[in-house]
Amino acid sequence: MEAEEVGARLRERFPDVVVEPFPGTAGRIRFPAARLIELLTEVRDGLGFDHLGQVGAIDWVEERELFYTVWSDRAKQYLFLSTRIPAGEPHLESLTPVFPSANWHEREACELVGITFDHHPDLRPLLTPTGYQFHPLLRSFRLHEPEELEVKVRDV
Amino acid sequence: MWINMGPQHPMTHGLWNLRVKIDGELVLDVDPEMGYLHRGIEKISEDRHYNEIITLMDRTCYVAGMAWEHLFIQAAEHALHIQVPERAQWIRTMSEEFQRVASHLMWYAAFVQDIGLMSPFLYGMRDRDLVLDLFQSYTGGRLTYEYMRVGGVRNDLPPGFTDQARKVCDWLSDRFVEYDRLCLGSDIFHRRCDNLGVLKASECIRYGITGPMLRSAGVARDLRKDRPYAAYGQVDFEVAVADGADVTGRYLVRMEELRQSLRILRQTLDWLDRNAGPVMAENVPRWMGAPYAPVGREGYLLKREYPKGVGFSAIEEPHGEALAYVVNEGGEHPYRVKLKSPVFVNIAAARQYLVGYRVADIPPIMGSVDVCVGEVDR
Amino acid sequence: MGSVSAAPTALRAATNAEMPLPMITEPAVSFVEIETLRAREFVPAAKEALGSMLSEQAQGKLIRPMFNWAGRNSLFPLHWGLACCAIEFAAAFGARWDAERFGVVPRSSPRQCDLLIVNGTVTWKVAHKLIALYEQMPEPKWVIAMGNCATGGGPFRTAYSVVPGVDKLVPVDVYIAGCPPRPEALLDGILRLEQLIKERKE
Repeated sequence: MEAEEVGARLRERFPDVVVEPFPGTAGRIRFPAARLIELLTEVRDGLGFDHLGQVGAIDWVEERELFYTVWSDRAKQYLFLSTRIPAGEPHLESLTPVFPSANWHEREACELVGITFDHHPDLRPLLTPTGYQFHPLLRSFRLHEPEELEVKVRDV
Repeated sequence: MWINMGPQHPMTHGLWNLRVKIDGELVLDVDPEMGYLHRGIEKISEDRHYNEIITLMDRTCYVAGMAWEHLFIQAAEHALHIQVPERAQWIRTMSEEFQRVASHLMWYAAFVQDIGLMSPFLYGMRDRDLVLDLFQSYTGGRLTYEYMRVGGVRNDLPPGFTDQARKVCDWLSDRFVEYDRLCLGSDIFHRRCDNLGVLKASECIRYGITGPMLRSAGVARDLRKDRPYAAYGQVDFEVAVADGADVTGRYLVRMEELRQSLRILRQTLDWLDRNAGPVMAENVPRWMGAPYAPVGREGYLLKREYPKGVGFSAIEEPHGEALAYVVNEGGEHPYRVKLKSPVFVNIAAARQYLVGYRVADIPPIMGSVDVCVGEVDR
Repeated sequence: MGSVSAAPTALRAATNAEMPLPMITEPAVSFVEIETLRAREFVPAAKEALGSMLSEQAQGKLIRPMFNWAGRNSLFPLHWGLACCAIEFAAAFGARWDAERFGVVPRSSPRQCDLLIVNGTVTWKVAHKLIALYEQMPEPKWVIAMGNCATGGGPFRTAYSVVPGVDKLVPVDVYIAGCPPRPEALLDGILRLEQLIKERKE
């Protein structure tokens, strides 16, 4: 499956998504965040990409990017999807109704990049200790020498 | 009643906590608690040069260091548009297969001990040490190798390596017969493992599960076959599949994978004997990751502005499908490194294959998942 | 192993009913007198028993070394794997190195142990669990920091979640360098610790 084919099959229902080629995969779809559930349902049921590989988040200072990787056993290919949301109050619909395996990926993105997922069943922190107030994967979070870190942790 | 199994418990094989809700001996609910080994590898990577990140990748999954090096290096090469010479690809393939053998032997040693048989631990560790000796002969390390580099591998194989490797393969293939006799011939093993931790294929796909767990449910999905990378497209092997979807099925899949790995290894060793060549791409300086130019070699240093781009790679790690996504914004360091571990997903679905069994069934089930906490927490 | 029986499905359907707890009217155990425990301590007890027979000087030369000799030849480390070094820790107990010939037998309960081998990266999340385990171990007890992470944070020293050296949490007797140290290095560390115990005075 090529990027043109993916684009052709999505164009009718989703005129607002952009499909571009991405080497080694079936393509890369950029879509508006509001259409997440609809688009992912179509990708799963219509295009046959039924295996969610990962959900990741990137901090681009002014906005945050969410990317999804899905795999199709029929086409033997990966498909990339990504969307951008403003960094002001970053929140997005949870993907767990479509792909239950998004659960922990979204918990991780929530605590490390600070994105809130609406209607997520269980958005507790996963990796950081209880009460940890920082989002380490933000660009504004800098790594310190241990002496500084020690003082900081005692303050919390 | 909720009880904690972990973070210090013989079942965990690592640093995590399984909270179990029980009624007598019956498991009603589970809640895995991770993060005890969260070292922030993704964050540290943003402050490192590409070749310096390899050090972290070895420690991400400490039983499959070579596979994670391979994963990251492929993504980095994808992002930086670097072509790798063929011999380096074959050496990488061989290294990854040896790593798979070592990892599965480690799993065998730990898992069979979980169900109460002690001597297989000693056999597994003994044979794993032979594989680690091979690693040591060409990388210098037993667990953490720092062997692969952006653009190839650090050094070529030493003379006489392939002969020794073949001897180890022969020894191992004899031992695998013995392993099977020890386990499959034992009534205790079957009573302990059959029909335990069942997770059907449709559920596996719904919950994103990959690797031996998925293949034990009858789905022949293996990235080495489906999306060949390195030299996997040129070797002949079969994907191990079982139909039980239970603990015994996972055992059968892993043992068959060990045999198939030996088959791949023999082919790669033959190829490496027949073909010589460079192991490092020419347009990549060896000191790519060095923070300073080596003395007197200033002209050798690459320019510090890498091309902008994103890199993606997917490999079949011993535990399943591992993904890496590297974003390069033109600086010396990657802008973002995202790693997806197969065990992360497999543990996340713990509720699906643990609820309804007995407390005493948890060690064999979790043993069959083959947990490596380093790559879950990163 | 082929097909799946109905047994697990039937178990899944079990109810969530809470069993009523039995009422406890009297303690099920008879409490041990602390004085009895004191009397069982080796060194004072031996001193008391031998006090009439031996001089003060001879007691010092005999009883403490005897106690140290017994202790250093049966070190029981806690069976606990933290990170990469835990794999080498396991290899040391495998067929090739066989650490058990030095009397080093890993135990799963901290209450049976007198040696804590910190084999891996210690994060802030696990820090208080590590201290709790250390405090559950009976005296006398020792700690080995195995590998660079336990010694000083190792390659993750600058990370936000890592304790830069386990000696910030518990007192460490022996440090082993290496990332990870080879099993020989671990055995060497254990033998060094035995040397330390041998020279222990009080």
